[in-house]
Amino acid sequence: MAIFLQLLFTGIGIGAVYSLVALGFVLIYRATNVVNFAQGEFAMLGAYAMVVLTQDLGLPYWAAIPISLAVMGLIGALFNLGVYYPLRHRSFLPVVISTIGASILLTNSVLVGYGPAPESLAGMFDFPGIQIGEVFLDSQYLLIIVVTILLVAFQYFFFEHTLLGKKMQATSQDKEMASLLGIPVARMIMLTFIYSAILGGLAGILVAPILFVSVGLGSQVALKAFAASIIGGFGDVTGAIVGGLSLGVIETFGAAYISVPYKDAFAFLVLFGFLLIRPQGIFGEKVAQKA
Amino acid sequence: MTSRSRYVIPLLLLAAAASIVLPLVHPVNGYLLNLFMQAATYAMAVLGLTVVLGYAGQISIAQAGFFGLGAYGVAIGTTVLHLPFFIGLALGVLVAGLLGAVLGASTLKLGGHYLAMVTISFQQILTLVLTNWISLTRGPDGIRNIPRPSLFGVSLEDSDRYLGLCLLVLYAVGVFVWWLKGTKLGLGMQAVRDNELAAEVVGVDTYRVKVTAFCLSALLGGLGGGLFAGGFGYISPDQFSFNESVVLLTMVLLGGADAAVGSVVGTALLILLPEWLRFLRGAYLAVYGLAVILIMVFMPTGLWGMLSRLGGPPRLRERGVPDVLTLGDPDAAAGGLLLEIKGLAKHFGGLKALDGVDISVERGKVHALIGPNGSGKTTMLNVLSGIYRPTRGEVLVDGVKVSGLAPHELAAAGVGRTFQNIRLFLSLTVLENVVIGAQRPHNSAAQTPDQVQRRAMAALDFVGMAARADLKVASLPYGHQRLVEIARALAGNPTLLLLDEPAAGLNLTEKQELVGLLKRLAGHGLTLFLIDHDMNLVEQMADRITVLNFGKRIAEGAPADVLRHPDVIAAYLGEVPDDAAA
Amino acid sequence: MPLLELHGLSAAYGAVEALKGLSLHVGEGEIVALLGSNGAGKSTTLRTISGLMKPKSGRVLFDGKDIGGLHPESVVRLGVAHVPEGRRVFPGLTVKENIMLGASNRPGVSRRELEAGVEEMFELFPDIRRFSGALGWTLSGGQQQMVAVARGLMSKPRLLLLDEPSLGLAPLIVQQVFRIIARIRERGTTVLLVEQNARTALSVADRGYVLETGRLIIEGKPDALWNNEEVRAAYLGGRVTAGV
Repeated sequence: MAIFLQLLFTGIGIGAVYSLVALGFVLIYRATNVVNFAQGEFAMLGAYAMVVLTQDLGLPYWAAIPISLAVMGLIGALFNLGVYYPLRHRSFLPVVISTIGASILLTNSVLVGYGPAPESLAGMFDFPGIQIGEVFLDSQYLLIIVVTILLVAFQYFFFEHTLLGKKMQATSQDKEMASLLGIPVARMIMLTFIYSAILGGLAGILVAPILFVSVGLGSQVALKAFAASIIGGFGDVTGAIVGGLSLGVIETFGAAYISVPYKDAFAFLVLFGFLLIRPQGIFGEKVAQKA
Repeated sequence: MTSRSRYVIPLLLLAAAASIVLPLVHPVNGYLLNLFMQAATYAMAVLGLTVVLGYAGQISIAQAGFFGLGAYGVAIGTTVLHLPFFIGLALGVLVAGLLGAVLGASTLKLGGHYLAMVTISFQQILTLVLTNWISLTRGPDGIRNIPRPSLFGVSLEDSDRYLGLCLLVLYAVGVFVWWLKGTKLGLGMQAVRDNELAAEVVGVDTYRVKVTAFCLSALLGGLGGGLFAGGFGYISPDQFSFNESVVLLTMVLLGGADAAVGSVVGTALLILLPEWLRFLRGAYLAVYGLAVILIMVFMPTGLWGMLSRLGGPPRLRERGVPDVLTLGDPDAAAGGLLLEIKGLAKHFGGLKALDGVDISVERGKVHALIGPNGSGKTTMLNVLSGIYRPTRGEVLVDGVKVSGLAPHELAAAGVGRTFQNIRLFLSLTVLENVVIGAQRPHNSAAQTPDQVQRRAMAALDFVGMAARADLKVASLPYGHQRLVEIARALAGNPTLLLLDEPAAGLNLTEKQELVGLLKRLAGHGLTLFLIDHDMNLVEQMADRITVLNFGKRIAEGAPADVLRHPDVIAAYLGEVPDDAAA
Repeated sequence: MPLLELHGLSAAYGAVEALKGLSLHVGEGEIVALLGSNGAGKSTTLRTISGLMKPKSGRVLFDGKDIGGLHPESVVRLGVAHVPEGRRVFPGLTVKENIMLGASNRPGVSRRELEAGVEEMFELFPDIRRFSGALGWTLSGGQQQMVAVARGLMSKPRLLLLDEPSLGLAPLIVQQVFRIIARIRERGTTVLLVEQNARTALSVADRGYVLETGRLIIEGKPDALWNNEEVRAAYLGGRVTAGV
């Protein structure tokens, strides 16, 4: 039982990271109808930003985090301008290919700068965690879970109770109509990219002390997050969160009880299963694709 | 064949022959040989992408995976199982093709992003398996000492001879992929890419075509990989990783995804480029990534697409006098009901777009469906052509129940249609569009490829567009596009033709020409079921009229009666809002 | 000076020309109907005025200023509201939110003013008040049409472009919608109306223009257009009554 609870805790912690990246996917998808294949790279860049700031520049953690997130916001904006915006009137294929190109560009640019050897980033807290009975709650995992809960609450408040949130929703539902009402659609999309990049960066910062910081971090997390958003129901915010958490748990249990080397394959097997049996996911409408 | 390609083909042939012969007579250094070998084998995989991405418009980011399957087929086949080289190659190609078919069959119903993601996932899983199934693949160390074959008693151990084999296979694959483009399957793929709905409606089984394209692409990937393994004698999992898939994708995009020659050019460039760009060292992949974005933004048709545009507009081909179009079914004189619609309902959530409609259409007659916008007319046509499944009720054509069939099955059963907002295959020529129509399954009027071409020209001639056969359909004005769409439907020799507002967007003269055309069709005994708002046209054309309003039939009968029916006048013109009148 | 003037306006979808040198004008306080069959270029005219399409040539003068080629966001800020065909109510937002967003063209408008504006719209369209909290997609066609018009009016437009307000509506509802259009004009808003349903449109309009394949065929008072047998037969789907 203790082992079960311990694994569950770990699974939820890692799943929360997938959820955050999946949320970024979903927000951009809803705003632009495009899957951003470079979403994972935002996580990777967020983690590397922390490495640069804390280790190379020697900044304290509390200062490095806001700076990293600001940098991520800037990267999100540049990403929109360079990768999405010039192609916004074209069909989905060129845009998807362009985001894949961006993913390669970002990964390999970091590779050139930092090489393939992984960096390690210290956890945010000095104290290791809390022992409850036989279950040990690691402080970094606790932090991930708490931050995820706060973010989800913030996002709910933002989209449901602010006019800006409503404008962003209107933009994602019908861009042309939104522009006819005077909603600055281009700016809404820009905001979406900035926010998604920050969200991705935050996920990377949170997970870095657990997973090592390497250029592969992005694709590792992104593929799981994408699988999570399909499992939850593509385009659905709740689905992204539930999908991410379930995937984290499945993967942790799979690694513990079935096979460690194939840990990364479980997510995809679950994904294939869903695609075959219930492609609309847990919460999705039966709309397979829009493109 | 345009006169331009009359020079291009012999030149290409010459270059191809020279590339095989030259290394044999003039020794090339080993390093350069290796580069050529890599380029030749990669190019085969890239040609696979030409088929799946360029022709069929489906994204695949697992090509390096299929390439790897072919390579491991040869490596394991020869070094572990001690099979002859070519049996190992066949094994690898087969496994790649099979996995491609399974992967495609399970996800191509979804398409789009799903396919992209599933292929990436497959790619990752494959890398995991190749790395971890050490007993079979020897894990990250890879497999060494892969032998080269001999062919007809000639040993290909020599690198320049083996390269000759690779080039020979490459050219064969290239010619095959180039030839495929003009075949029924190839045109079907391009139809799917340009307009999936229209492709279904003219009789292309889009799902099967997509799976076939995916499978073919995997096969070609496997073939390239198999020869790659023989060429280098050593393989390891990292040679077939996601990164390599990306490299292959870049190659096909750079060259121009929908042209075989372009793919080969793209591959050659990107293999040789890093040699010229050595100063970039590790950054070359970053440059590839940047290149992908830049190509998408500035050069969506690739190098070859840009070059072919420099060649100017296509030259028109001389063709003989077209055949006379045969139309209508032989039973037309026999009369009876061709189309029966019984209690048909289609609900979208709470909206009852069709609410229990009965219509019978006699063979050889023109039946018009009228009603205000939003009354359910187009929904009716979409149910009749299989795009929507009815909520209730059934549709019989020639006494056979057809409701619930897929659009391509309805097309095969002889139901043709046009769309209100014209749906043509915009990157193809006028003739290619109509040829795709003529290729519909069970078209008794065109069974051989030659008959298909003649049928298509006859249909174009019938609508007066034969002289424009070689133009890109996107360059035609609206009125002509409408005629091409009708010709595409006619080429399929339908027994029932559904026309969705054929007069929309035409001016008075064009409308009169359209009426003339439709009258000629009716004169041939073709059964027409048409929607239009132009009462003039409807009155001139129709033998019978059915009026819909709010998804229900409110009148049916001969034009003279129906158009005087007070309910129809009220519904069609709307009540005059008395107190709102100024 | 007319409120809106089009001079030789041309526009195209790719190679397909939809407007070919169209000129027309709409005076302040008028209701003007644009008539013609499907594909005649009526919707394209509205789309070009509101900035959804860029003109290929020609000018769009609003209150004397050339607004041709401006972004839709800028056009609506100048006081031109476009209620497009098919209503386009945001399906995942409530009726109230939909209407509120209509004021997005007015910067710095306070929450209080927004609430007051919505209240005013519910007074103008009492039928949709009770759906205030319902999501857009749950409404019927007629209710959606009213939400769409209310949303358009929230921008306090000087010119309202209405595209096929009668589409898919029952006659009774069509009457209601057209009564509202008459009332909108009384409130001082000029209306340019696209309708396939010529007779209904002409019953409220001051003048009408008949288009065919992107060109102007004839312009005139409602009576003159409707009583012109040839025009009615050729362009207004008029055969139905011509034979009576």
